[in-house]
Amino acid sequence: MTTLVLDNGAYTAKIGYSHEKVSVIPNCQFRSKTSRLKTFTASQLDEIKDPSGLFYILPFQKGYLVNWDVQRKVWDHLFGKEMFKVDFADTSIVITEPYFNFTSIQESMNEILFEEYQFQAALRINAGSLSAHRYFQENSSELCCIVVDSGFSFTHIVPYCRGKKMKDGICRLNVGGKLLTNHLKEIISYRQLHVMDETYVINQVKEDVCYVSQDFYKDMDIAQLKGEENTVMRDYVLPDFSAIKKGFCKPREEMNFTGKYKTGEQILRLNNERFAVPEMLFHPSDIGIQEMGIPEALVNSVHNLPEEMQPHFFKNIVLTGGNTLFPGFRDRVYKDVRSLTPTDFDVSVVQPQNPICYSWEGGKLLSENPDFDEMVVTREDYEENGHFICEEKFDI
Amino acid sequence: MVEKKIAVRSQEANQRRVLDRATRQRRLTRQLEALEKDNFQDDPHASLPQLAKRLPQFDESNESSKKRKKTRGDHFKQRFRKNFQALLEEENLSVSEGPNYLSACAEPSKLPQRHFCAVCGFPSNYTCVSCGARYCCVRCLGTHHETRCLKWTV
Repeated sequence: MTTLVLDNGAYTAKIGYSHEKVSVIPNCQFRSKTSRLKTFTASQLDEIKDPSGLFYILPFQKGYLVNWDVQRKVWDHLFGKEMFKVDFADTSIVITEPYFNFTSIQESMNEILFEEYQFQAALRINAGSLSAHRYFQENSSELCCIVVDSGFSFTHIVPYCRGKKMKDGICRLNVGGKLLTNHLKEIISYRQLHVMDETYVINQVKEDVCYVSQDFYKDMDIAQLKGEENTVMRDYVLPDFSAIKKGFCKPREEMNFTGKYKTGEQILRLNNERFAVPEMLFHPSDIGIQEMGIPEALVNSVHNLPEEMQPHFFKNIVLTGGNTLFPGFRDRVYKDVRSLTPTDFDVSVVQPQNPICYSWEGGKLLSENPDFDEMVVTREDYEENGHFICEEKFDI
Repeated sequence: MVEKKIAVRSQEANQRRVLDRATRQRRLTRQLEALEKDNFQDDPHASLPQLAKRLPQFDESNESSKKRKKTRGDHFKQRFRKNFQALLEEENLSVSEGPNYLSACAEPSKLPQRHFCAVCGFPSNYTCVSCGARYCCVRCLGTHHETRCLKWTV
């Protein structure tokens, strides 16, 4: 019996057998301007030579699975002979779902896993629970941890105590990578070049040049300086998908402060956008989303938990999800949480090596756990008891 | 001289249309909704006639299994086609007990609101009289009037 671990994110699926390595694959379909008859699924993205104006078809809306047609096409591709060649008669699956997943989505999920694909056993679980599992395995002396999972659709802050999630402390910010990319697209389109159709390219720009400021107003002052003194400004060379396959930042030495280049590449000039965009995670109110930022929400969430646990949470803050890869993210969370908590508490913020696949690795560990067989629902169980048994066993 | 100038200004302000609070809020909501969109362009396949259906089927032997798949797909479409809003309403969360999707949302920040120029993104001290957008200098105000202020009409 093999186990397939699938961290089914709204933008990328992290998938792999528990005895193998993880692959990160887009969890969506694409259409391109150049190949007009084909819809590309998941990893077929690599076949598109010119991804300018790439059109996304996503199975998720606001972080919840709503478009099952698309999801099933992606899964057919992932499980099929092109990729994982799943032998359903001899495979169990660990699959992740968002917090407070809607009942009807959970039921559809059961039906599709057991009836459509006919997996032998399934474990549906929150991605954060897998992260927490891994954290407790690696730090066995710790009693509590608080997982910050900042992904594509939203950011969740979830406290765990001895492996159990504490539902009352769960807090969601409606700020995720998608909002950041769209916001960056919007301000670049307004200020210099129309890029509203270029989600793919601008997402790359975001990943390449954005960073989290450690002193926001100081960086704002630097960004207002002219010429050489402005150490924030960067010129980004956009890809043309013939000579330049991937965009990149002009090295500082080659930068021309008049903004005119003889070479003729298309340039985006990024200044305060570099740090003002990720700042949305720390101050959503800057663009009118009236919610707390990550550090404030984290401290607020911990304050609502039993007092004797609080110091343990501040000591074990775990950052997961793609947004935590912005340079300076960890230091900023530490700095802000530190300034919001009394000095007699220790604050420690852990950023794993690979925050995107951290929960997948947790799923891998969990599947090797001796209690794993107790946690899953088998196909016989499901056929006997239906949705009821899944509702009983899975804590979503 | 000075008095006259003030008079001109207030007259201008009277003529200019000023959006009320509700309209400003509506505009903001619409802007935030736009940030949730998957794509801003149209589907590149939208303008195409549905060629796939009309193409001749070479693989005759596969026909029966294809048909089965198709009906299954239709079943799924009816059974599972719901958008986020419909699902949220179906859950009926306002009456249920315990933490849920709605109650988990972060509270409004206790920190003071910060303001940034709608044009250049730098800290701003002034508010556009007509639409409530922020700006930082006369130059940015000019750009704002010419491009955005009341042009995305209410």
